[in-house]
Amino acid sequence: MKRILAMVLALLTLGSLAACGSSGSGGAGASGSSANGAELSGKVVIYTSMYEDIIEMLDQKLEEVFPGVDIEFFYGGTGTLQSKVAAEIDAGQLGCDMLMVAEPAWSLELKEQGLLHAYDYPEKDKLMFEYDPEGCWYPVRVLNMVLAYNPEKYSRDELPTSFQAFAADSSLRGYCSMGNPLTSGTSYAAIVALQDKYGDQYFSQLGAQGVAVESGSVALTKLETGECKEIMILEESVLKKREEEHSPLEVIYPDDGCIMVPSTIMTITEERSPNHNIAACDAVEAWFLSPEGQEYIVKGWMHSARADYPAPPYDSIPTAEIAANAIPVNWERCYREREAIRTLFQENVTVS
Amino acid sequence: MPKKHYFDIKWLFILAIAAFLAVFQVFPLIYLVLRAFHVDGRLSLEGVKRIYTYAMNWSCLKNTILTAGLAMVFGTALAVPLAWLTGRTNLYGRSFFRFLFVTTYMVPPYVGAMAWLRLLNPNVGTLNVLLKNLLGLEQTPFNIYSIGGLVWVLTTFYFPYAFITISRAMEKMDPSLEEASRISGASPLRTLFTVTLPLMLPSIVAAALLVFVAASSCYGIPSIIGAPGQIYTVTTRIMDYVSVGSQQGLTDAANLAVFLMAISLAVLYFSKFVVGKRDYITVSGKSTQPSLVDLGRWRVPITVLTGLFALLVIILPFLTVFTTSVTVNLGKSVFAPDNFSLKFWHTALTRKSILGSAKNSLLSAVLAASIGMLICLVMAYLLKRTSVRGREIPDFFITVGSGTPSVVIALALIMTMSGRFGINIYNTMAIMVVAYMIKYMLMGMRTVVSAFSQVSPSLEEAAQISGAGWLRRMRDVLFPLIVPSIVAGWFLIFMPCFYELTMSNLLYSTNTKTLGVELFTYQTYHSQQTASALAGGILLLVVAVNLALDRLTKGKFSI
Repeated sequence: MKRILAMVLALLTLGSLAACGSSGSGGAGASGSSANGAELSGKVVIYTSMYEDIIEMLDQKLEEVFPGVDIEFFYGGTGTLQSKVAAEIDAGQLGCDMLMVAEPAWSLELKEQGLLHAYDYPEKDKLMFEYDPEGCWYPVRVLNMVLAYNPEKYSRDELPTSFQAFAADSSLRGYCSMGNPLTSGTSYAAIVALQDKYGDQYFSQLGAQGVAVESGSVALTKLETGECKEIMILEESVLKKREEEHSPLEVIYPDDGCIMVPSTIMTITEERSPNHNIAACDAVEAWFLSPEGQEYIVKGWMHSARADYPAPPYDSIPTAEIAANAIPVNWERCYREREAIRTLFQENVTVS
Repeated sequence: MPKKHYFDIKWLFILAIAAFLAVFQVFPLIYLVLRAFHVDGRLSLEGVKRIYTYAMNWSCLKNTILTAGLAMVFGTALAVPLAWLTGRTNLYGRSFFRFLFVTTYMVPPYVGAMAWLRLLNPNVGTLNVLLKNLLGLEQTPFNIYSIGGLVWVLTTFYFPYAFITISRAMEKMDPSLEEASRISGASPLRTLFTVTLPLMLPSIVAAALLVFVAASSCYGIPSIIGAPGQIYTVTTRIMDYVSVGSQQGLTDAANLAVFLMAISLAVLYFSKFVVGKRDYITVSGKSTQPSLVDLGRWRVPITVLTGLFALLVIILPFLTVFTTSVTVNLGKSVFAPDNFSLKFWHTALTRKSILGSAKNSLLSAVLAASIGMLICLVMAYLLKRTSVRGREIPDFFITVGSGTPSVVIALALIMTMSGRFGINIYNTMAIMVVAYMIKYMLMGMRTVVSAFSQVSPSLEEAAQISGAGWLRRMRDVLFPLIVPSIVAGWFLIFMPCFYELTMSNLLYSTNTKTLGVELFTYQTYHSQQTASALAGGILLLVVAVNLALDRLTKGKFSI
């Protein structure tokens, strides 16, 4: 029994060496069937870093669209998911069929490892952001790194309104907070972009500022209680609080530009996926990228990745306006120099 | 012939358990150590060298030793008098106090971090601001995001480990020794210092060790309180390396993990083989209710002091958690208009994923506690009732397992139990149950070992002479006598497994998410209020269970 299992595993590993390019034909064929979700069946497991509230909402909708497919979401922060997938790759057994994780650079990495299935999305020209020419990944939701403050505790006039001043303005010393680039993909993208723009000294300034490196929910609470004057955070988490809890917290779209993170959707190759359900995966991918799928993304306080999608999320400003002044992120560098960038950040910001 | 039969069954049990420990504990840990010293499949110190060239890693090692060391000293220093006061004196409300201190063991320690962060943050901490105004200070007096803050929360939430260990030992101590001292003219205080405490020394050392290991391998508290103040410990650093999500990251994590393991083993060695040698036989077969020391005129002041301590360390943080769970805008008072809501409780009690996680936690904790107790029982028997050579080895493994930081156990299991060596339990509940058992069996083990020591072998010998086989003697003689200890031990394993975070956070998968993970995820990513509601729910549940158990069994079976 064990020997058979080992042989099967070995065969699967061999099969996976065939990169995603070779499985492109399967993807193209399947895309035809995506028109009708009712015909599909089987199971699809999606690892995602989207909020659980949004997942719950999506779960119900997807049940309607794909009544025959058992779609299961597994929530985790980007870092948690990355380490989980790394451990799974190490063990030769992946647990997910699809990934919707914040950090786009990871898509480059997974594609290089030949783990991604190529799907030719018919409406890809409608997308506002870069996608993989071979169809291994597409941008599906746009997250913006912004600044936020609490008008009930501090006046906007006294606060820095740019990322540059966020690190340099001494009035924030001990009163500011940001996400952890080691566990959050968007925070990582942000520090790479800011390092490109302002140099390594941006990190040492953050360190001198005594910025607290912590998760979004903790930071938002600190903003609420007045413990922090200003935080670097994802726009969506502030918008969510504004709509759901009528929170007074406000977004500051920084003068020097937001950092836009077009998060991707991707499918694992048939050989490496646990459920071998490429037809359903393609259909789910197409649905997420469609205007209907995007509606749920926008309902979940994220921006649509489609150029033709009309509205921004609740209380936000138009996506194009943000894009016009965004700080570019070098995704290639995010991926290639990950170790060096993270270490530099840790040495500067996480040691007192 | 019957004699041969009896040996067979015993050895079957013992060998099975030894094999279990060897496969699921010893092998993974050895593999982890080897992995730390291998680069690209070759034996090399390169990985170790690289990781220790970073100053930040030295600082996190220093922080871990410092904070866990201080938490150990303070935690034990608190536990000894409290255990004595609640167990051996006529302190007012002593069983109530005992209940309170034990309750702290039953709530996730990171809940404490959540509360203290709100009470003592330097900018607007509730207690800080209150003290500032009260004393007319220019600045707030405390900063929770400091070494001191970390030590404070670690101490107040890990001292129950020492408290439980020490108070059990105090209750089991032969009172005639103390009586002899009193009859010879020694004052109660002198008896305490010359008889009780010296007799307690082995237990106190064991308790201190438990606190040190728990504090040094804790992840939740340093990540909530340490990290924002730029104080990283080995565990927070390891988690960062793990979440790099690459093989390199795993190796770096393994390197740091090995260091943490080495410290724990050193402490273990010291306590077990240096201090532990002084193993007094304090427990005789016929135990009577120890006499209570009269506190005399100190009775009221000491009760007030204990009450204040309980108020500060237990009631206040729990109250904060409950208040947080019903406050919409945490920047305003809970009594402000429209600011009170039960919706977070509603979410915590109805959300599908949370209920699923609660079920998982319950099941895996029950499995870990039950299988764990079975192993503990057999091992305790081996240790106390046989003279087999090497009978201390499994006990040693159980102690090492507990002494190994949670992160290390989880990493080692991921690396070895995911199919590469023929066993694949990764992504299943089994891997969590195994991890929980390795980490928490010790509390159960200590409980049954002390129960075994209490039952004189003469009872079993009498049964044996009367012709009872091994199984029969177990069932009819030994087992009934130690049932209360088994139940207590079972709960001591069950509770920390029920809300375990550090290992679960690395081991959970789609279908095996647990309550600890859920709580931590809500705390850090979604909503502090929902997390607080969930923590409050867990607290109410454990208090209710402990109370019910206490009532139903007339005080025999509570922890």
